[in-house]
Order: sequence, then C-alpha cells, then structure tokens
Amino acid sequence: MSQFEEMQQAIIDGKAPVVKELTEQALRDGVKPAEFFPKAIVPAMNEVGRRMRDCEFFIPEVLIAARAARAATDILRPLLVGDEASRSAGTVVCCTVKGDLHDIGKNIVAMMLESAGFRIVDLGVDASPEKIVQAVQEHKANLVAMSALLTTTMVNMKAGIAALASAGLRDHVKIMVGGAPVTENWARSIGADGYGKDAPTAVDLARSLVAN
Amino acid sequence: MKGRERILATLDGQPADALPFMPITMMFAADHVGVKYLEYATDYRVQVDAQLRVAEDYDFDYVSVISDPACEAADCGASVKFFPDQPPALDEENALLADKGKLSTLKAPDPSSGGRMHNRLKALSLFKRRAGGDKSIEGWVEGPCAEAADLRGINALMTDFYDDPGFVSGLFEFVLELELAFGKAQIAAGAELIGIGDAAASLVGPKFYEELVWPYETRLVDGLRASGARTRLHICGNTRSILAGMGRLGCDIVDLDSLAPVSQGRREMGPRQVLLGNIDPVRALRNGTPESVYDAVAECHREACNRFIVGAGCEVPRDTPAANLRAMARYAREHGTAELQPKADSSRGLP
Repeated sequence: MSQFEEMQQAIIDGKAPVVKELTEQALRDGVKPAEFFPKAIVPAMNEVGRRMRDCEFFIPEVLIAARAARAATDILRPLLVGDEASRSAGTVVCCTVKGDLHDIGKNIVAMMLESAGFRIVDLGVDASPEKIVQAVQEHKANLVAMSALLTTTMVNMKAGIAALASAGLRDHVKIMVGGAPVTENWARSIGADGYGKDAPTAVDLARSLVAN
Repeated sequence: MKGRERILATLDGQPADALPFMPITMMFAADHVGVKYLEYATDYRVQVDAQLRVAEDYDFDYVSVISDPACEAADCGASVKFFPDQPPALDEENALLADKGKLSTLKAPDPSSGGRMHNRLKALSLFKRRAGGDKSIEGWVEGPCAEAADLRGINALMTDFYDDPGFVSGLFEFVLELELAFGKAQIAAGAELIGIGDAAASLVGPKFYEELVWPYETRLVDGLRASGARTRLHICGNTRSILAGMGRLGCDIVDLDSLAPVSQGRREMGPRQVLLGNIDPVRALRNGTPESVYDAVAECHREACNRFIVGAGCEVPRDTPAANLRAMARYAREHGTAELQPKADSSRGLP
C-alpha cells in the first residue's frame, strides 16, 4: 500500500492521529503539500461521501473521517505557498441562517467541502444577512452555502440573498441552500443557484457551481 | 366514538368508527389561536388553550404537551436561547456537558421544582380538567439519544460514540433516570400516553443504535409502560436502517418520518405494530393541495394496512393551508378500521 493509499484508508477509518503521523512522515520524505489533496484527501472524502449516500456510513463515521482529514489539512494549509495557496477549489461562506441554531448538517457540509479542497469561512449559527455580506466581501468568496432546519427560519435564506443583491454582490457569488425543509422548488423560488439534498450532493453541487 | 376511545380501540386492536387522527402541532397550534410561540412554549395555560382549540377545529383525537426539545435540558441548567416566535433551542456552543467531567456531578432536576418541566406537568393537569374523556392526553419526554445530545451538544455526542462509548453509556444512564422520573410525573398529572422523541437516534446508524441507544430506549419504554401509560415513539429523520429495532421496543405507536417508507416500516415491524404517519410535512402537506394530501394519506394507509393512525411524518408546519389539514382529517373520518383488514396470511402487512 502506498503512502497515499494508507492515508486514504486512515481518513476513511477516522484515525486522526494516524493521518497526522502519515502526513508528517510524507512531508519529511519530500512530498509536496499540494500533492496530498488530489492523491489522498479528496479521494478519501469522496469515498466517505459515497458510503454516506449508500447508507454504509452514518453521522458518527462521517464526523470522525472529516476530523481525520482535518488532521492533515491543518498541517498542510500553512505550508501551501504562492500558486498552491490560491489554487483552492473556491472560497465558501457557510452558515446556518438567522434564528436557527441547528448546525450539524452545516458542519458536515463544511467539513466535506474543506476536504474537497474548498476554503471555508464558517459563520456558525444564527448568521444575519449582514454578516453573510460582510464575510463575502472580506474573504472574496465565490460561493455561499446556507442551511436551515426550520420552516420558520428558511425564509431568512431569502433575506440573505436579498442582502447580497443589495450589496451588489449577487453576480459575484453562487448561492446554494440545504436543510430538512428546503426543496429544489424553494431554492429556485428564492433565487438560489442550487439545492443540496445531502452533504455529498452539496459537494458535487459546489464543484459544478464554481466550475460554471 | 370519542377521539380517546378511537385511539384506545386502535391500540387494542379493536374496530373503530374511523382512523385516529394525531398530527403533531406546535407552531401551527400557536398560530391558530394567534399567540407568539414563546408564550405557547412557556405558559401552560396558553398551550392548553391552543391545543384544545386546534384539536376541536380540526377534529384531532388527542392533545399534547410537546413544545420543543429544550424542556428537560433547561431545568438541568443548560443554556437555552428563547426566540419571540419560534421554538426555544439549545445553545450548543455553551453545552452543559462540553466538559464530560461535569456528568459525575450533574443532578437530575425535580420535575415539580417550578421550571419548564413543572410547566408541562401543569399543562397535563389542566388538560385533564378541560379535555375530560373526549381527547387522549399525551405527555412528552426526550429519548436517551436526543436528551444526551441536548446536554452534551449533538456534534460532540456523535464523535463520543467512537471516542468514549463508556461516557455515552453513563450519559444515557443519567438521561434514563431523568426521563423516567419526568414521564412518571406526567402520568400522575394526567397523561395516558407518553410520546418519546428521540430525533438524534436516526443519525447514529444501526450499529450504535442497537448497541448503545436501543437498550436505553427499551428501559424507558418498559418503565413508562409499567407505570400505566401507553407509549409513542417519534424519531425524526431517516430511520430506515433502524426500523426493526424501533419495532422491537414494544411501543404502542411508532411514528414514521417521511424518509422511512410506511411499507418498509410495516414489513420490518410486523402486522401488529400501530404505525403513525407519514406524509412529508413540507413537500406533501404544506405545499400540496387538499386532493394531493388526501391521496398521499391514502397511500400511507394502503401501505400500512390496518393498525394505522393518520398523521404527518413530523410536525405540521406553521403555514400549512387549513384545507390541507382538513383533507387529512376527512380521510381519517371516512375510513373506519374495518375497511382495510390485514390478510390472514399477510405477515408483511401489505394489503
């Protein structure tokens, strides 16, 4: 098993200390930081997404796998220089919208996006439209991912989109939404660019939105 | 038949003049009487008024004290955020058991000590005086996984299953003691049916559900039944991988959320289990038409065959059109339990 294959397996198995050790060893062996993403982290998290979609993995497995992936990315991010550092898949502002404190779905999406090579600006829960606008401006984000668990708070996704439009940012960012009560129709009706029905779908959607 | 009689007949396998109608209403009920949800969730008199009105106006067969998941956790001392017009919610960033070491000194609150749990007991006493024998009166407790998530924080609890299963068991023991005491106090106050909400259990997968969650759910169900109550299990979300275990708990009613097909629930739980549900609350009930709602309920009924209670997969959304909810009631009233008898050889329960 190659170093990268071993690392992929350790991420899938959620073994953060092993991933950390393998990352450090590979760096000592001269592997370039940027190589880890396409050769180990992204394929491993793609496999985690597949297993989640196929009901082989559930939330505990996904969370420990994402934590293991982060054990590598925490070491690698500061080492990326020049082109490598700016060559992320995109910058995503993630949040649970105003009035809503439910964050496990948003957290999983954020972790999987990060493992897929996106730079994440996580605004946490109860994020106001103003906060979203500020984060997009400050971090020059090209994607906003909003989550809501309640029918009462999903309306605040619309407010977030309106605020981005008022700030003149709507044409500069793609917007994706998700959460239990959210539907494709709802996403379309509020002017979002896409709806992610689960975390793996959200990662695929983010990739396609950024590519377009 | 009165609503209460209709429910009890169905639970006992007796014929009933109509299918019981037991949708969960919280914000919908508050809106129905024009009160802010904060008042509904914190003032038992407001909740009782709203529940009785909505039950009467939409022909429900029961009333319930369910309001939000933060009731017991608040009395334990957890940080809870209150909003003017939506359910109170746990402040996970400041979870009570962010430090696992605090579990050893945590004391289960007395349900009658004047907090949110006491408010629920007062609601039940008032229901008993006002609902008489017409409507079934439902109490509500959090299940072990849900309450553990409320106290520990759901993100942390999910990784605890791998990192520290011993802590998870210890936390479930604490929750079991807390919820059994609360459930028994609710029974004494007037509840004849106790709903057990264990939303987080749908997230853990079959392995942890069987090994860690199910044993505590079983002890909770057994304890409540031994105290004389009927039990109703409600696990939000996709429960497809744990349906068989849910059926083995021995609950009088098992709710199915819309992500778990009724046909699969019937197949895995057998023909005797009373199933409740499960049209999609948003896509089918709120966004549908009276005709499509009626048809969706009919399909659930067809899949469940007998021993079926009409309801949505989860809470009726607050802005559901009245005509859609009435379409569910109409279906229930038009179908007595004699109309869809299980086939004698139908171990899978399908008509």
